[in-house]
Amino acid sequence: MKKLCIVFKQPPHGTAHGREGLDLSLLSASFEQEVSLLFTNEGVLTLVKDQDPESIGAKDYIATLGALPLYEIDTVIVCEQSLLELGLTESDLRIGVSVINSELISGHLNDVDEVIVF
Amino acid sequence: MILHLIQSSPEQSSALKTCLRYATENDCILLSGNAVNSLLNKEWVRQLKTHKVVALQEDVHARGLTNLLKDTKLVDYDDFVSLSLKFNKVISW
Amino acid sequence: MSKFIIQVNSAAYGSAASYSAYRFAKSALESGHCIEKIFFYQDGVLNTNQLNSPASDEFNLQQAWVDLHNEYGVALINCVSAALRRGVLSEVEAIENQLSHWNMQAPFIMGGLGELVTGIETADRLVSF
Repeated sequence: MKKLCIVFKQPPHGTAHGREGLDLSLLSASFEQEVSLLFTNEGVLTLVKDQDPESIGAKDYIATLGALPLYEIDTVIVCEQSLLELGLTESDLRIGVSVINSELISGHLNDVDEVIVF
Repeated sequence: MILHLIQSSPEQSSALKTCLRYATENDCILLSGNAVNSLLNKEWVRQLKTHKVVALQEDVHARGLTNLLKDTKLVDYDDFVSLSLKFNKVISW
Repeated sequence: MSKFIIQVNSAAYGSAASYSAYRFAKSALESGHCIEKIFFYQDGVLNTNQLNSPASDEFNLQQAWVDLHNEYGVALINCVSAALRRGVLSEVEAIENQLSHWNMQAPFIMGGLGELVTGIETADRLVSF
């Protein structure tokens, strides 16, 4: 068992990065790895409420975020600075997350075994 | 102790920006590919100053930047392999 | 001697990252390290399209991967779901999808994303490009 942190730094729908990152997150968890997710930069937009990706021909992988607890992915971190830069608050997000500062995120990145960035 | 790998220039992606937000003083930042171009920009050089930074020699050479970046520590692929093991993990931003 | 897993996320043509992954892998092997597998994910699966036809005076990255496999026996594994979406299929997927053509064959092999996860679990170090 390894501790994996999957980082979402790209915004959703414009590319497949977020979708493929979520695939890997769920699969890693189902292979009994200890998975945490970090949303940073425009990647935090993945978590915004009221999205309608199918209206632009994209897959609604955002709905899958609701399944994270079923996969026992309990650590979902959002970069405080990124939220601020985009003028968002926690109430704009669709799932419960831990909004933490850069220093704490550095600590988390140090604690895990591997970090995979999408 | 993390080796941060940056492969794209700061004009192309947010890799360097994000890495600098989370890198700590024990870490090393390895610039490869277009990322070596960031060493030409005063603002990025200023932000990189507080970190250990190395650049991939052949990417610097290929871009004709060897003379312009003569203050930068250059590494080859064998060094890159060693660094990836010396540090606890490699994060490719 | 350490055991690596290399993740390749960029296309063979149009991005320098795949070449860099190849150089890193070659250097690690020449230094006596072991590479558990090279896993092609995201646009990295485009490294395995055997219809890639670079001009004769250009570096043939796909052939370089094959040579690396032939010399060191490194497993070259494609993420099947990423590959299908990008039009990279082996004979098996072509038959499953009632297609008469395919463009990926040995030594590249299709595997699930689970191959990446188990590879990360058993390797000493993951390096992504």
